[in-house]
Amino acid sequence: MRRYLRIVLLFARLEAQFELAYRTNFVFDLLQQVVITATSLGAVLILFSYTETMNGWTLPAMIVVVGVFYIVQGIGDLVFLPSAQQLIEQVRLGTLDFVLLKPLDAQFFVSLRRIKFTAIVEIALGVGIVAVGFAKLGTLDLLAGLLFLITLACGVVLVYVLLLVLGTLAFWFVRVENLLVVYEAFTDAARFPIDIYPFWLRFAMSSVVPVGIAVTVPAQAVSGRLDGLGVAAILAATVGAVAFGRWFWKTGLRSYTGASA
Amino acid sequence: MIRVYRALLLAQLQVAAQYRLSMFLYLLFSIMRPVIFLAAWSAVALARGGSVNGFTPADFAAYYVILTVVQHLVTAWNQYDFELQVRMGQLSPRLVRPLDPIHYAIAENIIWKSFTFVGILPVLAVIVITYGVQFHFALWQIALFIPSLLLAASLQFLISWAIASSAFWTTRTHAVSSLFDRTSFIFAGQIAPLSLLPGVLQQVAYVLPFGYIFGVPTDILRGGHDLPTSLVLMSGQAVWVAIAFVASRIVWRFGVRAYTAVGA
Repeated sequence: MRRYLRIVLLFARLEAQFELAYRTNFVFDLLQQVVITATSLGAVLILFSYTETMNGWTLPAMIVVVGVFYIVQGIGDLVFLPSAQQLIEQVRLGTLDFVLLKPLDAQFFVSLRRIKFTAIVEIALGVGIVAVGFAKLGTLDLLAGLLFLITLACGVVLVYVLLLVLGTLAFWFVRVENLLVVYEAFTDAARFPIDIYPFWLRFAMSSVVPVGIAVTVPAQAVSGRLDGLGVAAILAATVGAVAFGRWFWKTGLRSYTGASA
Repeated sequence: MIRVYRALLLAQLQVAAQYRLSMFLYLLFSIMRPVIFLAAWSAVALARGGSVNGFTPADFAAYYVILTVVQHLVTAWNQYDFELQVRMGQLSPRLVRPLDPIHYAIAENIIWKSFTFVGILPVLAVIVITYGVQFHFALWQIALFIPSLLLAASLQFLISWAIASSAFWTTRTHAVSSLFDRTSFIFAGQIAPLSLLPGVLQQVAYVLPFGYIFGVPTDILRGGHDLPTSLVLMSGQAVWVAIAFVASRIVWRFGVRAYTAVGA
Protein backbone atom coordinates (compact mmCIF):
# COMPACT_ATOMS: atom_id res chain seq x y z
CA MET A 1 0.00 0.00 0.00
CA ARG A 2 2.77 2.45 0.95
CA ARG A 3 4.61 1.50 -2.17
CA TYR A 4 1.59 2.39 -4.31
CA LEU A 5 1.21 5.70 -2.53
CA ARG A 6 4.85 6.51 -3.23
CA ILE A 7 4.34 5.69 -6.88
CA VAL A 8 1.31 7.99 -7.14
CA LEU A 9 3.41 10.79 -5.67
CA LEU A 10 6.07 10.08 -8.25
CA PHE A 11 3.50 10.32 -11.06
CA ALA A 12 2.36 13.64 -9.62
CA ARG A 13 5.88 15.03 -9.54
CA LEU A 14 6.55 14.01 -13.13
CA GLU A 15 3.34 15.59 -14.34
CA ALA A 16 3.98 18.78 -12.40
CA GLN A 17 7.35 19.18 -14.09
CA PHE A 18 5.73 18.65 -17.47
CA GLU A 19 2.90 21.10 -16.82
CA LEU A 20 5.15 23.86 -15.52
CA ALA A 21 7.10 23.82 -18.75
CA TYR A 22 4.17 25.59 -20.40
CA ARG A 23 3.43 28.27 -17.86
CA THR A 24 1.45 30.76 -19.95
CA ASN A 25 -0.82 28.03 -21.21
CA PHE A 26 -1.22 26.90 -17.61
CA VAL A 27 -2.35 30.34 -16.52
CA PHE A 28 -4.79 30.58 -19.42
CA ASP A 29 -6.20 27.20 -18.50
CA LEU A 30 -6.79 28.41 -14.96
CA LEU A 31 -8.49 31.60 -16.14
CA GLN A 32 -10.67 29.63 -18.47
CA GLN A 33 -11.76 27.39 -15.63
CA VAL A 34 -12.81 30.37 -13.55
CA VAL A 35 -14.85 31.76 -16.46
CA ILE A 36 -16.51 28.40 -17.10
CA THR A 37 -17.54 28.02 -13.48
CA ALA A 38 -18.80 31.60 -13.29
CA THR A 39 -20.97 31.15 -16.39
CA SER A 40 -22.66 28.03 -15.11
CA LEU A 41 -23.30 29.65 -11.75
CA GLY A 42 -24.68 32.62 -13.67
CA ALA A 43 -26.97 30.32 -15.61
CA VAL A 44 -28.40 28.93 -12.37
CA LEU A 45 -28.96 32.44 -11.01
CA ILE A 46 -30.77 33.46 -14.21
CA LEU A 47 -33.04 30.42 -13.95
CA PHE A 48 -33.78 31.16 -10.30
CA SER A 49 -34.53 34.81 -10.96
CA TYR A 50 -37.81 33.48 -12.36
CA THR A 51 -38.66 30.98 -9.64
CA GLU A 52 -38.15 29.95 -6.03
CA THR A 53 -37.90 26.23 -6.65
CA MET A 54 -37.19 24.08 -9.66
CA ASN A 55 -38.79 20.65 -9.49
CA GLY A 56 -38.55 20.94 -5.71
CA TRP A 57 -34.92 22.13 -5.68
CA THR A 58 -34.30 25.41 -3.90
CA LEU A 59 -31.53 27.81 -4.90
CA PRO A 60 -29.14 26.74 -2.09
CA ALA A 61 -29.66 23.06 -2.94
CA MET A 62 -29.09 23.91 -6.60
CA ILE A 63 -25.84 25.70 -5.74
CA VAL A 64 -24.72 22.52 -3.98
CA VAL A 65 -25.51 20.58 -7.18
CA VAL A 66 -23.32 22.95 -9.22
CA GLY A 67 -20.50 22.61 -6.67
CA VAL A 68 -20.70 18.82 -6.60
CA PHE A 69 -20.76 18.84 -10.39
CA TYR A 70 -17.41 20.64 -10.50
CA ILE A 71 -15.93 18.41 -7.79
CA VAL A 72 -16.92 15.20 -9.58
CA GLN A 73 -16.04 16.47 -13.03
CA GLY A 74 -12.82 17.96 -11.65
CA ILE A 75 -11.66 14.67 -10.14
CA GLY A 76 -12.45 12.98 -13.45
CA ASP A 77 -10.49 15.65 -15.34
CA LEU A 78 -7.65 15.53 -12.82
CA VAL A 79 -6.70 11.93 -13.27
CA PHE A 80 -9.25 9.44 -14.63
CA LEU A 81 -9.96 11.12 -17.97
CA PRO A 82 -6.35 11.88 -18.96
CA SER A 83 -5.31 8.41 -17.81
CA ALA A 84 -8.05 6.80 -19.90
CA GLN A 85 -6.90 8.85 -22.90
CA GLN A 86 -3.38 7.63 -22.38
CA LEU A 87 -4.52 4.01 -22.02
CA ILE A 88 -6.35 4.17 -25.35
CA GLU A 89 -3.31 5.64 -27.04
CA GLN A 90 -1.01 3.02 -25.53
CA VAL A 91 -3.25 0.18 -26.69
CA ARG A 92 -3.27 1.59 -30.20
CA LEU A 93 0.49 2.09 -30.35
CA GLY A 94 1.31 -1.12 -28.51
CA THR A 95 3.30 0.71 -25.85
CA LEU A 96 1.06 -0.84 -23.21
CA ASP A 97 3.59 -3.69 -23.36
CA PHE A 98 5.94 -1.64 -21.20
CA VAL A 99 3.21 -1.02 -18.64
CA LEU A 100 2.39 -4.71 -18.39
CA LEU A 101 6.05 -5.58 -17.81
CA LYS A 102 6.24 -3.34 -14.75
CA PRO A 103 6.10 -5.12 -11.38
CA LEU A 104 2.88 -3.48 -10.27
CA ASP A 105 -0.83 -3.87 -10.90
CA ALA A 106 -1.51 -2.72 -14.44
CA GLN A 107 -5.01 -1.46 -13.65
CA PHE A 108 -3.51 0.77 -10.96
CA PHE A 109 -0.99 2.14 -13.41
CA VAL A 110 -3.38 2.89 -16.28
CA SER A 111 -5.94 4.45 -13.91
CA LEU A 112 -3.67 6.96 -12.25
CA ARG A 113 -0.73 7.54 -14.55
CA ARG A 114 -1.73 10.92 -15.96
CA ILE A 115 -2.53 13.90 -13.76
CA LYS A 116 -3.79 17.19 -15.13
CA PHE A 117 -3.06 19.75 -12.47
CA THR A 118 -5.26 22.54 -13.79
CA ALA A 119 -8.24 20.44 -12.74
CA ILE A 120 -7.34 21.16 -9.11
CA VAL A 121 -8.75 24.64 -9.65
CA GLU A 122 -11.95 23.10 -10.89
CA ILE A 123 -12.17 20.97 -7.75
CA ALA A 124 -11.30 23.91 -5.49
CA LEU A 125 -13.99 26.08 -7.12
CA GLY A 126 -16.42 23.18 -6.68
CA VAL A 127 -15.59 22.91 -2.98
CA GLY A 128 -16.03 26.66 -2.58
CA ILE A 129 -19.42 26.60 -4.30
CA VAL A 130 -20.56 23.67 -2.17
CA ALA A 131 -19.51 25.61 0.94
CA VAL A 132 -21.61 28.61 -0.18
CA GLY A 133 -24.53 26.25 -0.80
CA PHE A 134 -24.14 24.70 2.66
CA ALA A 135 -24.04 28.12 4.30
CA LYS A 136 -27.24 29.12 2.50
CA LEU A 137 -28.93 25.84 3.37
CA GLY A 138 -28.55 26.71 7.05
CA THR A 139 -28.30 24.01 9.68
CA LEU A 140 -26.64 20.90 8.45
CA ASP A 141 -26.72 17.91 10.78
CA LEU A 142 -23.88 15.47 11.14
CA LEU A 143 -25.70 12.56 9.51
CA ALA A 144 -26.49 14.57 6.39
CA GLY A 145 -22.87 15.71 6.17
CA LEU A 146 -21.64 12.16 6.53
CA LEU A 147 -24.06 10.86 3.91
CA PHE A 148 -22.90 13.65 1.60
CA LEU A 149 -19.29 12.54 1.87
CA ILE A 150 -20.13 8.85 1.44
CA THR A 151 -22.35 9.36 -1.59
CA LEU A 152 -19.85 11.78 -3.10
CA ALA A 153 -17.13 9.14 -2.78
CA CYS A 154 -19.45 6.60 -4.39
CA GLY A 155 -20.13 9.04 -7.23
CA VAL A 156 -16.42 9.54 -7.88
CA VAL A 157 -15.86 5.77 -7.94
CA LEU A 158 -18.74 5.34 -10.40
CA VAL A 159 -17.17 7.92 -12.70
CA TYR A 160 -13.83 6.16 -12.40
CA VAL A 161 -15.30 2.78 -13.36
CA LEU A 162 -17.13 4.34 -16.30
CA LEU A 163 -13.90 5.83 -17.65
CA LEU A 164 -11.98 2.61 -17.01
CA VAL A 165 -14.59 0.64 -18.95
CA LEU A 166 -14.59 3.14 -21.83
CA GLY A 167 -10.79 2.97 -21.95
CA THR A 168 -10.80 -0.83 -21.76
CA LEU A 169 -13.01 -0.98 -24.85
CA ALA A 170 -9.85 -0.03 -26.76
CA PHE A 171 -8.69 -3.64 -26.45
CA TRP A 172 -11.41 -4.69 -28.86
CA PHE A 173 -12.12 -1.61 -30.94
CA VAL A 174 -8.70 0.15 -30.91
CA ARG A 175 -9.91 3.58 -32.04
CA VAL A 176 -12.18 4.57 -29.20
CA GLU A 177 -10.82 7.99 -28.19
CA ASN A 178 -14.01 9.44 -29.58
CA LEU A 179 -16.02 7.35 -27.14
CA LEU A 180 -14.71 9.63 -24.41
CA VAL A 181 -16.79 12.33 -26.07
CA VAL A 182 -19.81 10.33 -24.89
CA TYR A 183 -18.57 10.71 -21.34
CA GLU A 184 -17.99 14.43 -21.75
CA ALA A 185 -21.37 15.07 -23.36
CA PHE A 186 -23.29 13.24 -20.66
CA THR A 187 -21.20 14.80 -17.90
CA ASP A 188 -22.23 18.16 -19.24
CA ALA A 189 -25.84 17.25 -18.51
CA ALA A 190 -25.00 16.31 -14.92
CA ARG A 191 -24.82 20.03 -14.02
CA PHE A 192 -28.54 19.91 -13.20
CA PRO A 193 -30.38 17.41 -11.01
CA ILE A 194 -31.31 14.46 -13.18
CA ASP A 195 -34.95 14.51 -12.10
CA ILE A 196 -35.64 17.48 -14.39
CA TYR A 197 -34.76 15.47 -17.50
CA PRO A 198 -37.07 13.45 -19.73
CA PHE A 199 -37.25 9.75 -18.94
CA TRP A 200 -34.74 8.48 -21.55
CA LEU A 201 -32.02 10.89 -20.49
CA ARG A 202 -32.63 10.29 -16.78
CA PHE A 203 -32.40 6.56 -17.40
CA ALA A 204 -29.16 6.83 -19.37
CA MET A 205 -27.56 9.06 -16.75
CA SER A 206 -28.33 6.73 -13.88
CA SER A 207 -27.43 3.45 -15.58
CA VAL A 208 -25.00 3.18 -18.49
CA VAL A 209 -23.45 6.62 -17.89
CA PRO A 210 -23.91 7.08 -14.12
CA VAL A 211 -22.53 10.65 -14.02
CA GLY A 212 -26.06 11.83 -13.31
CA ILE A 213 -26.47 9.99 -10.01
CA ALA A 214 -22.84 10.74 -9.13
CA VAL A 215 -23.72 14.44 -8.90
CA THR A 216 -27.38 14.44 -7.96
CA VAL A 217 -27.33 11.94 -5.07
CA PRO A 218 -24.81 13.79 -2.82
CA ALA A 219 -26.79 16.99 -3.30
CA GLN A 220 -29.96 15.11 -2.38
CA ALA A 221 -28.24 13.93 0.81
CA VAL A 222 -27.76 17.47 2.13
CA SER A 223 -31.11 18.82 1.04
CA GLY A 224 -33.00 16.07 2.86
CA ARG A 225 -34.24 14.34 -0.26
CA LEU A 226 -32.38 11.07 0.16
CA ASP A 227 -33.85 8.09 2.04
CA GLY A 228 -32.16 4.93 3.33
CA LEU A 229 -33.15 3.04 0.21
CA GLY A 230 -31.34 5.59 -1.97
CA VAL A 231 -28.15 5.28 0.10
CA ALA A 232 -28.29 1.48 -0.05
CA ALA A 233 -28.86 1.63 -3.81
CA ILE A 234 -25.85 3.82 -4.57
CA LEU A 235 -23.62 1.78 -2.23
CA ALA A 236 -24.68 -1.46 -3.91
CA ALA A 237 -24.25 0.09 -7.34
CA THR A 238 -20.74 1.25 -6.46
CA VAL A 239 -19.61 -2.14 -5.14
CA GLY A 240 -21.12 -3.82 -8.20
CA ALA A 241 -19.47 -1.31 -10.53
CA VAL A 242 -16.02 -1.80 -9.01
CA ALA A 243 -16.28 -5.58 -9.35
CA PHE A 244 -17.53 -5.24 -12.90
CA GLY A 245 -14.77 -2.79 -13.78
CA ARG A 246 -12.08 -5.15 -12.50
CA TRP A 247 -13.58 -8.11 -14.37
CA PHE A 248 -14.00 -6.09 -17.56
CA TRP A 249 -10.42 -4.83 -17.41
CA LYS A 250 -9.05 -8.37 -16.95
CA THR A 251 -11.17 -9.72 -19.78
CA GLY A 252 -10.08 -6.89 -22.04
CA LEU A 253 -6.45 -7.37 -21.17
CA ARG A 254 -6.65 -11.00 -22.24
CA SER A 255 -7.47 -9.99 -25.80
CA TYR A 256 -4.58 -7.51 -25.96
CA THR A 257 -2.04 -8.68 -28.46
CA GLY A 258 0.57 -5.94 -28.33
CA ALA A 259 0.42 -3.91 -31.49
CA SER A 260 4.17 -3.45 -31.69
CA ALA A 261 5.00 -7.14 -31.66
CA MET B 1 -14.30 29.87 -58.98
CA ILE B 2 -17.23 27.48 -59.40
CA ARG B 3 -14.87 24.81 -60.73
CA VAL B 4 -12.52 25.37 -57.82
CA TYR B 5 -15.35 25.03 -55.35
CA ARG B 6 -16.64 21.87 -56.98
CA ALA B 7 -13.23 20.29 -56.51
CA LEU B 8 -12.89 21.52 -52.93
CA LEU B 9 -16.35 20.32 -51.96
CA LEU B 10 -15.75 16.92 -53.52
CA ALA B 11 -12.47 16.50 -51.66
CA GLN B 12 -14.10 17.45 -48.36
CA LEU B 13 -16.94 15.02 -49.01
CA GLN B 14 -14.41 12.23 -49.34
CA VAL B 15 -12.74 13.19 -46.08
CA ALA B 16 -16.09 13.38 -44.33
CA ALA B 17 -17.06 9.92 -45.55
CA GLN B 18 -14.03 8.49 -43.75
CA TYR B 19 -14.93 9.79 -40.33
CA ARG B 20 -18.61 8.94 -40.17
CA LEU B 21 -18.71 7.42 -36.69
CA SER B 22 -16.65 10.02 -34.86
CA MET B 23 -18.70 12.73 -36.52
CA PHE B 24 -21.91 11.35 -35.12
CA LEU B 25 -20.37 11.03 -31.67
CA TYR B 26 -19.51 14.71 -31.75
CA LEU B 27 -23.13 15.43 -32.59
CA LEU B 28 -23.97 14.30 -29.05
CA PHE B 29 -22.53 17.60 -27.87
CA SER B 30 -24.59 19.81 -30.11
CA ILE B 31 -27.69 17.91 -29.02
CA MET B 32 -27.00 17.64 -25.30
CA ARG B 33 -26.55 21.34 -24.52
CA PRO B 34 -29.97 22.49 -25.74
CA VAL B 35 -31.66 19.52 -24.04
CA ILE B 36 -30.06 20.45 -20.72
CA PHE B 37 -31.39 23.99 -20.72
CA LEU B 38 -34.70 22.99 -22.24
CA ALA B 39 -35.24 20.64 -19.30
CA ALA B 40 -34.21 23.32 -16.81
CA TRP B 41 -36.52 25.97 -18.29
CA SER B 42 -39.42 23.53 -18.46
CA ALA B 43 -38.93 22.81 -14.76
CA VAL B 44 -38.99 26.56 -14.06
CA ALA B 45 -42.11 27.00 -16.19
CA LEU B 46 -43.86 24.17 -14.32
CA ALA B 47 -42.84 25.66 -10.96
CA ARG B 48 -44.48 28.94 -11.99
CA GLY B 49 -47.68 27.18 -12.88
CA GLY B 50 -47.10 26.66 -16.60
CA SER B 51 -45.14 29.49 -18.18
CA VAL B 52 -42.24 31.94 -17.87
CA ASN B 53 -43.07 35.32 -19.44
CA GLY B 54 -45.33 33.60 -21.93
CA PHE B 55 -43.03 30.65 -22.62
CA THR B 56 -44.69 27.30 -21.94
CA PRO B 57 -42.57 24.11 -21.87
CA ALA B 58 -43.71 23.46 -25.46
CA ASP B 59 -42.54 26.96 -26.45
CA PHE B 60 -39.17 26.34 -24.83
CA ALA B 61 -38.95 23.06 -26.68
CA ALA B 62 -39.73 24.78 -29.98
CA TYR B 63 -37.10 27.41 -29.20
CA TYR B 64 -34.41 24.88 -28.32
CA VAL B 65 -35.18 22.60 -31.26
CA ILE B 66 -34.76 25.53 -33.65
CA LEU B 67 -31.71 26.71 -31.70
CA THR B 68 -30.09 23.30 -32.11
CA VAL B 69 -30.60 23.46 -35.87
CA VAL B 70 -29.28 27.04 -36.02
CA GLN B 71 -26.32 26.28 -33.80
CA HIS B 72 -25.44 23.26 -35.85
CA LEU B 73 -25.57 25.11 -39.16
CA VAL B 74 -23.89 28.27 -37.86
CA THR B 75 -21.05 27.15 -35.59
CA ALA B 76 -17.60 27.19 -37.19
CA TRP B 77 -14.75 25.39 -35.52
CA ASN B 78 -11.89 26.43 -37.83
CA GLN B 79 -10.03 28.31 -35.14
CA TYR B 80 -9.26 25.03 -33.34
CA ASP B 81 -8.04 23.34 -36.47
CA PHE B 82 -6.13 26.34 -37.71
CA GLU B 83 -4.06 26.65 -34.55
CA LEU B 84 -2.80 23.13 -35.13
CA GLN B 85 -1.94 23.90 -38.76
CA VAL B 86 0.09 26.94 -37.77
CA ARG B 87 1.79 25.21 -34.88
CA MET B 88 2.72 22.15 -36.93
CA GLY B 89 3.70 24.19 -39.95
CA GLN B 90 1.09 22.40 -42.07
CA LEU B 91 -0.16 25.72 -43.29
CA SER B 92 2.98 26.41 -45.32
CA PRO B 93 2.14 24.22 -48.35
CA ARG B 94 -1.32 25.78 -48.51
CA LEU B 95 0.05 29.29 -48.49
CA VAL B 96 2.07 28.72 -51.65
CA ARG B 97 -0.99 27.55 -53.56
CA PRO B 98 -2.72 30.22 -55.64
CA LEU B 99 -5.91 29.96 -53.58
CA ASP B 100 -6.59 31.81 -50.32
CA PRO B 101 -6.78 29.18 -47.52
CA ILE B 102 -10.09 30.68 -46.43
CA HIS B 103 -11.76 28.84 -49.32
CA TYR B 104 -10.67 25.46 -47.97
CA ALA B 105 -12.29 26.37 -44.67
CA ILE B 106 -15.49 27.52 -46.36
CA ALA B 107 -15.78 24.28 -48.33
CA GLU B 108 -15.08 22.27 -45.20
CA ASN B 109 -17.83 24.09 -43.31
CA ILE B 110 -20.40 23.57 -46.04
CA ILE B 111 -19.77 19.85 -46.38
CA TRP B 112 -19.47 18.92 -42.71
CA LYS B 113 -22.49 20.91 -41.65
CA SER B 114 -24.75 19.45 -44.28
CA PHE B 115 -23.33 15.97 -43.83
CA THR B 116 -23.90 15.84 -40.08
CA PHE B 117 -27.23 17.63 -40.26
CA VAL B 118 -28.97 14.35 -41.00
CA GLY B 119 -27.67 12.98 -37.72
CA ILE B 120 -29.39 15.47 -35.43
CA LEU B 121 -32.82 15.09 -37.03
CA PRO B 122 -33.84 11.85 -35.25
CA VAL B 123 -32.88 13.28 -31.84
CA LEU B 124 -34.78 16.47 -32.53
CA ALA B 125 -37.76 14.31 -33.45
CA VAL B 126 -37.53 12.64 -30.03
CA ILE B 127 -37.55 16.05 -28.31
CA VAL B 128 -40.48 17.22 -30.41
CA ILE B 129 -42.44 14.13 -29.35
CA THR B 130 -41.37 14.25 -25.66
CA TYR B 131 -42.45 17.87 -25.20
CA GLY B 132 -45.35 17.92 -27.65
CA VAL B 133 -43.93 20.78 -29.75
CA GLN B 134 -46.06 22.41 -32.39
CA PHE B 135 -44.57 24.72 -34.96
CA HIS B 136 -46.51 27.48 -36.67
CA PHE B 137 -44.38 29.22 -39.23
CA ALA B 138 -45.67 32.21 -41.11
CA LEU B 139 -44.33 32.43 -44.65
CA TRP B 140 -42.42 35.65 -43.96
CA GLN B 141 -40.71 34.00 -40.99
CA ILE B 142 -39.32 31.27 -43.20
CA ALA B 143 -38.45 33.82 -45.87
CA LEU B 144 -36.44 35.89 -43.37
CA PHE B 145 -35.02 32.93 -41.48
CA ILE B 146 -32.90 31.67 -44.38
CA PRO B 147 -31.01 34.91 -45.07
CA SER B 148 -30.73 35.50 -41.32
CA LEU B 149 -29.22 32.04 -40.90
CA LEU B 150 -26.73 32.72 -43.67
CA LEU B 151 -25.76 36.04 -42.12
CA ALA B 152 -25.28 34.35 -38.75
CA ALA B 153 -23.14 31.60 -40.27
CA SER B 154 -20.99 34.18 -42.08
CA LEU B 155 -20.62 36.19 -38.89
CA GLN B 156 -19.55 33.20 -36.83
CA PHE B 157 -17.22 32.01 -39.52
CA LEU B 158 -15.54 35.40 -39.98
CA ILE B 159 -15.09 35.87 -36.24
CA SER B 160 -13.60 32.41 -35.90
CA TRP B 161 -11.34 33.15 -38.86
CA ALA B 162 -10.12 36.37 -37.24
CA ILE B 163 -9.39 34.51 -34.00
CA ALA B 164 -7.72 31.75 -35.98
CA SER B 165 -5.51 34.25 -37.80
CA SER B 166 -4.27 35.62 -34.51
CA ALA B 167 -2.48 32.28 -34.16
CA PHE B 168 0.17 33.73 -36.50
CA TRP B 169 1.42 35.78 -33.55
CA THR B 170 0.39 33.72 -30.56
CA THR B 171 0.66 30.19 -31.97
CA ARG B 172 -1.78 28.98 -29.34
CA THR B 173 -5.27 30.44 -29.67
CA HIS B 174 -7.14 27.65 -27.96
CA ALA B 175 -7.72 29.62 -24.77
CA VAL B 176 -9.00 32.66 -26.70
CA SER B 177 -11.36 30.51 -28.75
CA SER B 178 -12.82 28.79 -25.73
CA LEU B 179 -13.18 32.12 -23.97
CA PHE B 180 -15.19 33.38 -26.93
CA ASP B 181 -17.31 30.23 -26.92
CA ARG B 182 -18.01 30.54 -23.23
CA THR B 183 -19.03 34.19 -23.55
CA SER B 184 -21.34 33.42 -26.43
CA PHE B 185 -22.72 30.61 -24.29
CA ILE B 186 -24.32 33.29 -22.10
CA PHE B 187 -25.06 36.03 -24.59
CA ALA B 188 -26.00 34.14 -27.74
CA GLY B 189 -29.22 32.61 -26.48
CA GLN B 190 -28.02 29.22 -25.30
CA ILE B 191 -28.65 29.34 -21.57
CA ALA B 192 -31.87 31.30 -22.11
CA PRO B 193 -33.88 32.82 -24.95
CA LEU B 194 -32.57 36.37 -25.32
CA SER B 195 -35.87 37.88 -24.20
CA LEU B 196 -35.52 36.12 -20.83
CA LEU B 197 -32.02 37.42 -20.09
CA PRO B 198 -32.00 40.00 -17.29
CA GLY B 199 -31.82 43.64 -18.51
CA VAL B 200 -28.11 44.39 -18.77
CA LEU B 201 -27.19 40.99 -20.16
CA GLN B 202 -29.84 41.39 -22.85
CA GLN B 203 -28.40 44.76 -23.87
CA VAL B 204 -24.92 43.31 -24.07
CA ALA B 205 -26.25 40.49 -26.25
CA TYR B 206 -27.67 42.95 -28.79
CA VAL B 207 -24.85 45.50 -28.69
CA LEU B 208 -22.06 42.96 -29.13
CA PRO B 209 -22.19 40.40 -31.98
CA PHE B 210 -23.21 37.50 -29.72
CA GLY B 211 -26.97 37.82 -29.96
CA TYR B 212 -26.84 37.93 -33.75
CA ILE B 213 -25.11 34.57 -33.99
CA PHE B 214 -27.73 32.15 -32.64
CA GLY B 215 -30.48 34.11 -30.92
CA VAL B 216 -31.69 36.33 -33.77
CA PRO B 217 -32.27 33.65 -36.44
CA THR B 218 -33.84 31.34 -33.86
CA ASP B 219 -36.27 33.99 -32.64
CA ILE B 220 -37.19 34.99 -36.19
CA LEU B 221 -38.24 31.46 -37.11
CA ARG B 222 -39.91 30.82 -33.77
CA GLY B 223 -42.02 33.93 -34.15
CA GLY B 224 -40.46 35.81 -31.25
CA HIS B 225 -40.30 39.09 -33.20
CA ASP B 226 -42.69 40.92 -35.49
CA LEU B 227 -41.71 41.76 -39.04
CA PRO B 228 -40.23 45.26 -38.47
CA THR B 229 -38.17 44.13 -35.45
CA SER B 230 -36.89 41.15 -37.41
CA LEU B 231 -35.74 43.41 -40.23
CA VAL B 232 -33.97 45.74 -37.79
CA LEU B 233 -32.21 42.81 -36.15
CA MET B 234 -31.17 41.47 -39.54
CA SER B 235 -29.60 44.80 -40.43
CA GLY B 236 -27.73 44.49 -37.16
CA GLN B 237 -26.49 41.12 -38.37
CA ALA B 238 -25.41 42.65 -41.67
CA VAL B 239 -23.47 45.42 -39.92
CA TRP B 240 -21.62 42.90 -37.78
CA VAL B 241 -20.86 40.70 -40.79
CA ALA B 242 -19.31 43.73 -42.50
CA ILE B 243 -17.23 44.58 -39.43
CA ALA B 244 -16.12 40.99 -38.96
CA PHE B 245 -15.24 40.72 -42.66
CA VAL B 246 -12.98 43.76 -42.58
CA ALA B 247 -11.44 42.71 -39.27
CA SER B 248 -10.71 39.17 -40.40
CA ARG B 249 -9.12 40.43 -43.65
CA ILE B 250 -6.88 42.85 -41.76
CA VAL B 251 -5.81 40.29 -39.18
CA TRP B 252 -5.12 37.79 -41.95
CA ARG B 253 -3.15 40.25 -44.10
CA PHE B 254 -0.83 41.25 -41.26
CA GLY B 255 -0.75 37.80 -39.73
CA VAL B 256 0.54 36.08 -42.85
CA ARG B 257 3.48 38.48 -42.86
CA ALA B 258 4.25 37.61 -39.25
CA TYR B 259 4.05 33.88 -39.99
CA THR B 260 7.39 32.21 -39.55
CA ALA B 261 6.32 28.66 -40.44
CA VAL B 262 6.78 26.76 -37.22
CA GLY B 263 8.40 23.43 -37.80
CA ALA B 264 9.68 24.33 -41.23
